Amino acid sequence: MPEPATTVADPDGFSASAAEFERAARRHKLVRYGKGLAAYIVLAVFAVIAIGPFLYLLSPSFRESFELFSYPPQWIPDSFYTGNFATILNDTSYLRWGLNTMIFATAVTLITLVIDTLAGYAFARLRFPGRTALFVLILATLMIPTAVLIAPLYIMVSNLPAWTHSGVNTYPAMIIPMVASPLGVFMMRQFISTLPEALVEAARLDGASEWQIFRKIVLPLMKPAIVVLGIFTFMFQWVNFLWPLVITTTDNMKTLTVGVASLQGQFVTDWGVISAAAVMTMVPVIAIFLIFQRWFVQASMAGALKQ
Amino acid sequence: MSGVTTERPWEELTLSEAEYRRAGTRYRNRRSLRAYLFIVPYLLPFLAFLVVPTVWSIWLSFNQGGILDTAKYVGLDNWRAISSDTELTGAIKNTALYVVEAILLVFTLALFLALLLNRYRKGSNFFKLALYVPLLAPAVLVGLIWQFLTNYDFGLVNLLLNALGLDRLNILGSGTLALLTIVLAEVWRGLGFWTLYFLASLQNIPEELQDAARVDGARGLQRFRRVTLPLLRPMLLFAVVIAIIANFQVFDTVYVLTQGGPHESTSTLVWFIWKKMFQFQETGQAYAAAVLLLGIILVLTAISFWLLGARQKRVT
Repeated sequence: MPEPATTVADPDGFSASAAEFERAARRHKLVRYGKGLAAYIVLAVFAVIAIGPFLYLLSPSFRESFELFSYPPQWIPDSFYTGNFATILNDTSYLRWGLNTMIFATAVTLITLVIDTLAGYAFARLRFPGRTALFVLILATLMIPTAVLIAPLYIMVSNLPAWTHSGVNTYPAMIIPMVASPLGVFMMRQFISTLPEALVEAARLDGASEWQIFRKIVLPLMKPAIVVLGIFTFMFQWVNFLWPLVITTTDNMKTLTVGVASLQGQFVTDWGVISAAAVMTMVPVIAIFLIFQRWFVQASMAGALKQ
Repeated sequence: MSGVTTERPWEELTLSEAEYRRAGTRYRNRRSLRAYLFIVPYLLPFLAFLVVPTVWSIWLSFNQGGILDTAKYVGLDNWRAISSDTELTGAIKNTALYVVEAILLVFTLALFLALLLNRYRKGSNFFKLALYVPLLAPAVLVGLIWQFLTNYDFGLVNLLLNALGLDRLNILGSGTLALLTIVLAEVWRGLGFWTLYFLASLQNIPEELQDAARVDGARGLQRFRRVTLPLLRPMLLFAVVIAIIANFQVFDTVYVLTQGGPHESTSTLVWFIWKKMFQFQETGQAYAAAVLLLGIILVLTAISFWLLGARQKRVT
């Protein structure tokens, strides 16, 4: 953000002595530094607002619940109490919930990646009757709220015949309905449309089958889009709440989100235990996040770029 | 594809026109079939778990029962019941208020932060990551965190108020403050996403346009209003539509923070649907409310397109 008029000396009317000029330049520099400093202070404040609460939770997770009510409040406890973590590991199915979440999110992500990439390719590069109409229909379903789908899905799942082994409280029932989300098909189609068509044409002239073209030419080029969609899907399912809440009724089929929420009922006032569960839930996620940080940021930026 | 030309370029193939046409049809059919093979793996779950449930929901909104028993057609009864339900009107009002507040707040803050990050690039990666972290927290955690901020006895806000010698506030026990808490919780969670979204949009704007405006003497705010904002409009349209669709479905935070209370003052549309469905077993009314929600989202999306989309055409 330049300050107008200070640095440019007008060759005609404007004349400034070297000293005046230098002073103006210094003032300009000072203002610029001031603005920069202010900007970084604002950014730092928001960074603290974003991360602070997680650090704040660390404290109660290492204290016994009654200490929360002590006055004056202290953030750093005198002694580290690990009973909350022990309670969670011994008295709840926490590890099982973690496993369930892992299976659920991973399976949805993998299936989504396969079917969305295939469909995205067909919508971007293949010709067939009804292509546009079908794509518009898929886009329109983006607007359908989950609440509309939940109950019919629940009825469908709970009425499945026993031999399918996929009624309520089973992994297939949790996983398969979630792969229908239209966002990925849209993302993949947009991305494939940006790939040069000549590549596909050349391969086709060389006699490659559609499957070969897809497998050998398009797929390798799609790596960035696949990573982005994968991270998006995984994250979305990791925090998914409504569907797992509806479709799991037994304790050992719950996901982390549902399980930890149920602790709130079970340990009504035991905030220490609940915070410990929260800390345990966040630590692996933050670890994954830091490992893949480049891709995470790119994933959210990609949404804007692929218009 | 259509031309069997008069010059007969394929003469050496010695196909009659009819044969040629048949071969063409066969080729096109095979090509379509192959294309369908590519989309079928997605199309099956799409139809089964998205299209069928939606149509089914609409149908069930004219029925009673249907989860544990068989559905019974009751005509417009459900719709009549919910249209005179004051809790639903309240829920719609709360949701609308929530959506407006949340979107305005999160977009303003995100745009502001994106402008800063776009201007000051040094170390911006750290801030991007930091802002992103709340997005990784499941709703339960968001609820918990906000409990720790707002709890009457040990919430941070109350501890601060106490330290300043002011009276403690029963934040989640008061209607307006409880709804505000839910707004703030969702803004806190979504801020990172929208900041990165706007940052990417800003970086798409060619630098030359900014420079040209600068040379013409446009000041910072002017440049933002006359150059940046109009160019952001298509991105903004997409953002508004997505935000409306997502925010109208607010549920997690309500579930973990207030359960719709106190006195239904934080009851939102999806919370209302949830309650009718799983607490009162009034499934028909729940479906009707869900279809109503779909209708509201459709109308608002159309309005957004009309408002923001049309303006964009006028500018370019």
